[in-house]
Amino acid sequence: MPSLNLDPAGLPILAGLWHLDGATARHDAVAWGYAKGATQRGVELHQLTEVTGVDIEAGRVTGVQTNRGKVSCGCVVQAVSGLSAEVSRMAGFQLPIVAYPLQAMVTQPVKPFLDPHVSSSALHCYVHQTSRGEIVIGGGSDPYPLYGTRSTLELKEGLIASAVEMFPFMSEMRLMRQWAGITDMTSDYSPIMGLSPVENYYLDAGWGTWGFKATPICGVTMAEVVASGGKVPDLIAPFSLDRFDAFRQVNEMGATAASH
Amino acid sequence: MKILTCPLNGPRNIAEFTYGGQVKPMPNPTEATDQEWAHYVFYGDNHIGVVREWWMHTPSSYWFIVERHNQTDEVMRTYDPAELFDPGASPATEPVEADS
Repeated sequence: MPSLNLDPAGLPILAGLWHLDGATARHDAVAWGYAKGATQRGVELHQLTEVTGVDIEAGRVTGVQTNRGKVSCGCVVQAVSGLSAEVSRMAGFQLPIVAYPLQAMVTQPVKPFLDPHVSSSALHCYVHQTSRGEIVIGGGSDPYPLYGTRSTLELKEGLIASAVEMFPFMSEMRLMRQWAGITDMTSDYSPIMGLSPVENYYLDAGWGTWGFKATPICGVTMAEVVASGGKVPDLIAPFSLDRFDAFRQVNEMGATAASH
Repeated sequence: MKILTCPLNGPRNIAEFTYGGQVKPMPNPTEATDQEWAHYVFYGDNHIGVVREWWMHTPSSYWFIVERHNQTDEVMRTYDPAELFDPGASPATEPVEADS
């Protein structure tokens, strides 16, 4: 690994894990690819349309109120990431989810030097270089819940200190951009998928910091739930909302690995 | 740097503090059903607005209450838990509802 400090923060690297089939994808390109494919198949996407209420009659959802009018429906799939708990409130039930910001940042672009994505579980920091030459720096969620998406100086200081430990030459670089997103965290770091207390209102929530990677199978499986009128496939049965009532949390090994 | 005012130690860097979760009434552990206990453990409001939370000043292990807006991150008030809980009461006592 060129340029990597083998003794970062006094924690010498004794061994590493090399994920042969690991890869990174341009998330915005993937999202637009899905949007394009869906609209070509007849799906309508309404941007800048905020859900303001959910109409429930006799335990069933009949429509969704928005700032641009009402949409009647046969069923609803709630897949709203960071605002899951707020939207479920409109449908009349709570979710065992807490919202935390997840922050990341990129440097100015430099010539290609780093091909793999490098992650230190000891420093809770990951670094990779994009096809445009920028270096992406990220790590764990914020230390306390917040619905704000403003970047903080505290997290930048901490993350950059770790990134510079890993790649010391980066102390000469300048940050170009920073951002934060809201993640909906469950206590077992696993998603909530399937049925809800409202009969025809289905959930895809609680993906925390790692929903992107599961999006394809998640979409197909939730489509099965809708098409079958609420029959939950075995694949996602362990992720039901009622697992918390039964203390049947998912033992997710990845949850111990801190950063991605 | 964000500053949080500890009722015991005064204004300190927020890095000195540990978040401890929402303040919520604890059901009596000997009488609550499993489902009531699960609800207490796993569920919270998580609603945008002013929230009442447990925080600890880590170096002094002192726990106190923070009222904070969970979207703007503005801290309204910090105070000793004695304002909410009777120090002589058993752990199952519910907090005194202040003006909420």
